Amino acid sequence: MSIPNAPLYDYLPNEGIETIHEMTLRVLEEFGIAFNHDQAVDILERAGCQVDRDAIPAPLVKFPRGLVLEQIGKAPREFTMYARNPQNNVVLGGKHTVLAPVYGPPNVQDLDKGRREATLEDYRNFVKLAQSVPEIHNAGGVVCEPNDEPQATRHLDMMHALLTLSDKTFMGNVVSGENANDCVELAAIVFGGRDKLAQTPAMLSLINVNSPRLFDTRMLDSLFVYARARQPLLITPFILAGAMSPVALGGSLVQQNAEALAGITLTQLINPGTPVVYGSFLSNSDMQSGSPAFGTPESAAALLASAQLARKYKLPFRGGGGLTSSKVADGQAMWEASMTFWPTFLAGTNFVLHAAGWLESGLTSSYEKFVMDIELCRMMQVFRGGIALDEEGLALDAFAEIGPGGYFFGAAHTLRHFRDAFYRPLLADVQNYTRWEQKGAETAEMRAQRVWKKWLREYAPPPMDAGVLEALNEYVARRKQEINAAEAAY
Amino acid sequence: MTPDEILQQMYDNTVLGKVADVTNLTKEGLALEMDPLDMLYGGENKELGGRGLLPALQEVGRRFEVGDFFVPEMLMSAKAMQGALTLLRPLLAAKGEKTVGKIVMGTVKGDVHDIGKNLCNIMMEGAGFEVIDLGVNVSPEKFVKAVQDNQPDVVGFSAFLTTTMPMIKVNIEQLKKAGLRDKVKVMAGGAPVTAHYAEISGTDGYAPDASATARLAKQFVGSDGAVPTGALVDAIAAVENMMSVVEPT
Ligand code: B12
Repeated sequence: MSIPNAPLYDYLPNEGIETIHEMTLRVLEEFGIAFNHDQAVDILERAGCQVDRDAIPAPLVKFPRGLVLEQIGKAPREFTMYARNPQNNVVLGGKHTVLAPVYGPPNVQDLDKGRREATLEDYRNFVKLAQSVPEIHNAGGVVCEPNDEPQATRHLDMMHALLTLSDKTFMGNVVSGENANDCVELAAIVFGGRDKLAQTPAMLSLINVNSPRLFDTRMLDSLFVYARARQPLLITPFILAGAMSPVALGGSLVQQNAEALAGITLTQLINPGTPVVYGSFLSNSDMQSGSPAFGTPESAAALLASAQLARKYKLPFRGGGGLTSSKVADGQAMWEASMTFWPTFLAGTNFVLHAAGWLESGLTSSYEKFVMDIELCRMMQVFRGGIALDEEGLALDAFAEIGPGGYFFGAAHTLRHFRDAFYRPLLADVQNYTRWEQKGAETAEMRAQRVWKKWLREYAPPPMDAGVLEALNEYVARRKQEINAAEAAY
Repeated sequence: MTPDEILQQMYDNTVLGKVADVTNLTKEGLALEMDPLDMLYGGENKELGGRGLLPALQEVGRRFEVGDFFVPEMLMSAKAMQGALTLLRPLLAAKGEKTVGKIVMGTVKGDVHDIGKNLCNIMMEGAGFEVIDLGVNVSPEKFVKAVQDNQPDVVGFSAFLTTTMPMIKVNIEQLKKAGLRDKVKVMAGGAPVTAHYAEISGTDGYAPDASATARLAKQFVGSDGAVPTGALVDAIAAVENMMSVVEPT
């Protein structure tokens, strides 16, 4: 969605942002960031970083401030991602907001069958749902984990589903460099070869920082593959304050900023101009039990401040989503999701992962919650639209027509606008008690179930050229054979 | 300080997580030639109130389970007890007393999640186990070598990604190859791991959280019979009480 006039919420004053910026550069210079990857360390050393190769747990890299500022300046302020269907192209950055479904859960849940291990069928269902609803602009990556497919070849099934069942932009696999390469190859088939793909980036890949201050080998392997193929990267420090950063929000923001800027610097050294997104996934631990907590007031404040930092660096921003720790799509699920959606949209977040379907701290993708989240996304979109103050917006003719004590249902102004004047709920029930009861006394969860079932029933696969489909099938079949043969030999 | 006062102070300061104080009290007690077993269990004079290290940890565990104690407090108490145990262990060994048991823990290869594993370690140390933590991204070879070198009673595999869960089985295969599988109990856990998955991977047990992990480890060494002797059995029973305040249903 693109809302040119939407206001952005500045949570911290400018001096606050400058303080965090200054501290960040100090952390990068004095404490450094560890990279568990020889090639990455070589590149950073050559660029002028100070490197301690014997550091534990991984080589420690200290960044001169000049280098960081110079390199992040090379990343584009905004960029276009190209979809199989050009109508689904999206811009990342500026006043644009791109929404993507939940990412990562090994389980799924719905009202009929309860919580269970996710399968490829579930994976395909969530891709279909993402394709069906216009509120979702990116079909996602690991919408759930297809546990019934063999580990080593699962990424091929996922990528095949993303490319064939949807014609929106999508996300690449980051389990290994080899997997990343398969994703690039498969996308190249659809987008007309690797060179063309480099010019029309189609997939965004999630590189998490193993906070505090550590980049993991396989994340970096994937980062190299995608940066070289010039596919956009989402560098996200993954912070549960208290465990993975100090319990202080200020320090957590400094740490997040240092990690993100270090990763972005590396992407620009590998391939200058590679599109990157400044990511934030900052919530807090529950200090009593040690469990991750979501939808907390602290995470809401941190999200707004994080977006301000990304704006300072002129980088697209990722954050938020419908985050919650609840186990079912209940009250807690939706108040925590709302607590996260509000700052997400007030911050003008450019890429929102987990915008629909997230449950149980990311361990479950929920069919019903997917629909509930879509309702919130729709409302946020309307909210961000602002208030029209033109002639129709001020409705003077309605005052002229309706006198004191009258009512506006029949006013000419009303008749011109009533259908789209106000947001029409997708799920929310506004009937009176008796009518609600007569119609089955359905809870929100039950109504949500009807909706996702309908969306799946009505899903129509986007058309695909038969030759392209065949080439995709052939690639997947061949790679499965190769990988299985290699596994058998091992 | 009298030995009775030392025992009480050890209890109080372990509950409060005062690492240096507990170490100093232990030294002071040893200088007075107090029995290390008394320092561990609190000695005879139970009517004097909370005494000694394990009863203190028992109280800490109870407070954690009912939500009064937070993770950092539990961590500091476990550290305080660890400090004392470093001094007491050689003496206990000399007396022919073995520790409750030895555990090797690590996060499997390809996986760097360790918050959950570390909580398990704290709980098990609190239960009197000696925990050898191999860290994260631990290769099967490293697990095998650690089992060979340390001869633990239990080895625990922590896995958080569906892509790394298969390493549980791979590790077990490697233990078999090295002829070690029947010498050690194997447990596994981590957010996406289920009891069913742990079972089909060939482990001896699974636990969903840190308290349950300590209970499971205790079960392993208890049923083994080989490990604890004498007074330590009582200690284990006490620790079991502490861990079972909140039983999973
Ligand atoms: C924190 C976290 C991280 C942190 C870890 C930091 C750290 N030092 O541990 C970081 C940022 C590094 C991280 C990285 C990644 N993560 Co992560 N992470 C999580 C998260 C949010 C919380 C885990 C946690 O610490 N919980 C708190 C502890 C206290 O609770 P617990 O984990 O349940 O632990 C208890 C039990 O499991 C048990 N237990 C634990 N170990 C053991 C061992 C034994 C022997 C026993 C008996 C019991 C036991 O006792 C513990 C204490 O009570 C989970 C989601 C979740 N809700 O679990 C995702 C999650 C596990 N991660 C996930 C993913 C995908 C990743 C990444 C691949 C993301 C990416 N694209 O970059 C990387 C992979 C990195 C790697 N190579 O391992 C997915 C896994 C999905 C899947 N299908 O496999 C999850 C489910 C989130 C998601 N939806 O995406 N992650």
